[in-house]
Amino acid sequence: MIRSPVTGPAAAFAAAAALALAVPARAAEVPIPPAPQRWVTDTVGLLSPGVLEALDRQLEAYERQTGHQVLVWIGATTGDTPLEEFAVKAFEKWKPGRAGKDDGLVFFLFTQDRKTKIEVGYGLEDRVTDLIASRVIREVVAPRLQGGDPDGALREGVAALLSAIDAAGTQAVPAPAPGRAPGPGPRPLSTAQKVVIAVVVLGFLLLLITNPSLAIWLLLNVLSGSGRGGGGSGRGGWSAGGGRSGGGGATGSW
Amino acid sequence: MKWGAAGCVVVLVIAVVLALAGGWTYNRLVRLDQDVLAQWAQVENVYQRRADLVPNLVETVKGAAAFEKDTFTAVAEARSRVGQVGGGALQNVVNDPQAFQRFQEAQAGLSSALSRLMVVVEKYPELKANQNFLGLQSQLESTENRIAVERMRFNEKAQAFNTARMSLPTALIAPFFGARFNEKPYFKAQEGAEKAPQVKF
Repeated sequence: MIRSPVTGPAAAFAAAAALALAVPARAAEVPIPPAPQRWVTDTVGLLSPGVLEALDRQLEAYERQTGHQVLVWIGATTGDTPLEEFAVKAFEKWKPGRAGKDDGLVFFLFTQDRKTKIEVGYGLEDRVTDLIASRVIREVVAPRLQGGDPDGALREGVAALLSAIDAAGTQAVPAPAPGRAPGPGPRPLSTAQKVVIAVVVLGFLLLLITNPSLAIWLLLNVLSGSGRGGGGSGRGGWSAGGGRSGGGGATGSW
Repeated sequence: MKWGAAGCVVVLVIAVVLALAGGWTYNRLVRLDQDVLAQWAQVENVYQRRADLVPNLVETVKGAAAFEKDTFTAVAEARSRVGQVGGGALQNVVNDPQAFQRFQEAQAGLSSALSRLMVVVEKYPELKANQNFLGLQSQLESTENRIAVERMRFNEKAQAFNTARMSLPTALIAPFFGARFNEKPYFKAQEGAEKAPQVKF
C-alpha cells in the first residue's frame, strides 16, 4: 500500500511548517481578496440564488441579534497558498468581529481545491472549539458536499455553527449603534503642559539654528511615531471591527 | 557676558531635548518589548495546548495499535523534554538566545515524534472510524496550525522590536537598560520541516 506522502495529517504538518516559514522570508505576499461586502459571498456560483440570499439575511439578522459576525466565503482556489495561511491572512485583513471581542467567524469553502476551513476569532474559541468545528465539517458539511448538495451543506453547516455559538449560553448583546459615537473633544491644556510645550518648541527652534540636521531628524522621528492609527469604516454590509484569530477551528476536504 | 547667558540657555535646552528624546526612545522600547512578551505568552499557550493533547492521543492510539511501542516511547520522551524547558519566566526565554534555542529544539522534537505517530496511525484503518481518535486528530491539526500562526506573529513582534532596537540612536541608548532590551531571537524553520514525513514500507 503506497500512498501519496502529502495526505491527511502529514499534509497538515507540512502546511503548518510552511506557514511558520513564511514570515522571515516574507517573499510571496498572499493575494487576499478585499473584504466582502455582504455576510455570504459566493464568487463561483455554488449556491442557488435563493439560498444565498436567505443565508445572507439570516447572518445579518444573527449579527443584529447577538453581535457575532459570521461570514461565509466561497471561492475557487487559494492557489499556491496553503488554505490555513490564506484563512488566517484573510481574517487579519477583513477583521470580522467586534474590536476587543474578536467574536467573528469565517467559513471558507474552495470548490476547486475541494477544501473547507472554519476560521474562528479568539473571542469565539471557547464556543466553537476545534472539536466542534471539525465535527461540523466532517459530519454536516462534507457528506452533503459529497452528495452534491452544496445548498444543504452550507445551510446546515451554518445552522450547526450558530447553534454551537448559542449553546454556550449567549446573552443577547444590543447591536452597535450605526455610526460612531462622538469622542470626547480635545481637553484644554493645563499650565504645566503649556510650559513644557513652550520649552520644547523653543528648544527645537534653537536646535534648528544650531544643528539643523539633528532637528529635522528629531522632527521626522516624532512625526513617524505619531502617524499611526486609522481604522475600519462603515460599509453597506457588515462592518469590520475586531478581527483576530489564532488559526483555530478546523480544516476539511470532501 | 551676554553670549555666556545665551550659551547656557542653549545648552540647557539641548539637554532638555535630549532627555525628552531619550525618554521617548525608552518608552517606545518598553512598549515593543511588552508586545514581544505578550506574544511569547501566546506561543507558550498554544504549545501547552499541544502538550495537553498528547496523553489522550497516545492512549487512544494505543487501543488500536498496541505494537508500536517505539513510537509511543519517542512521543512520551519528547513530551517530557518539553515539560522540562517550559515553566521559566517569560523574559528569560525571550531575552536568552540559548534558552530560546532549547525551547525550540524540545518543541521540534515533540513535533517530529507526533508526526511519526500520525504516520504510523495510517496503517490502522480501524482508528479512522474511531470518533474519539478523529476528534483528537483534528484538534492536533488545529493546534499545529495555531502554533504556526502564533510563531509567525511572534516573529513579527520580534522583528518590530529588533528594528527599533538596532536603529540609531536607539542602538546607543538601549545597552544602558541591561538585558531586557537584548535583541530578540526568531523562530526558524527546522531543517527539513517543510517536507511531509515519508512513509516507507
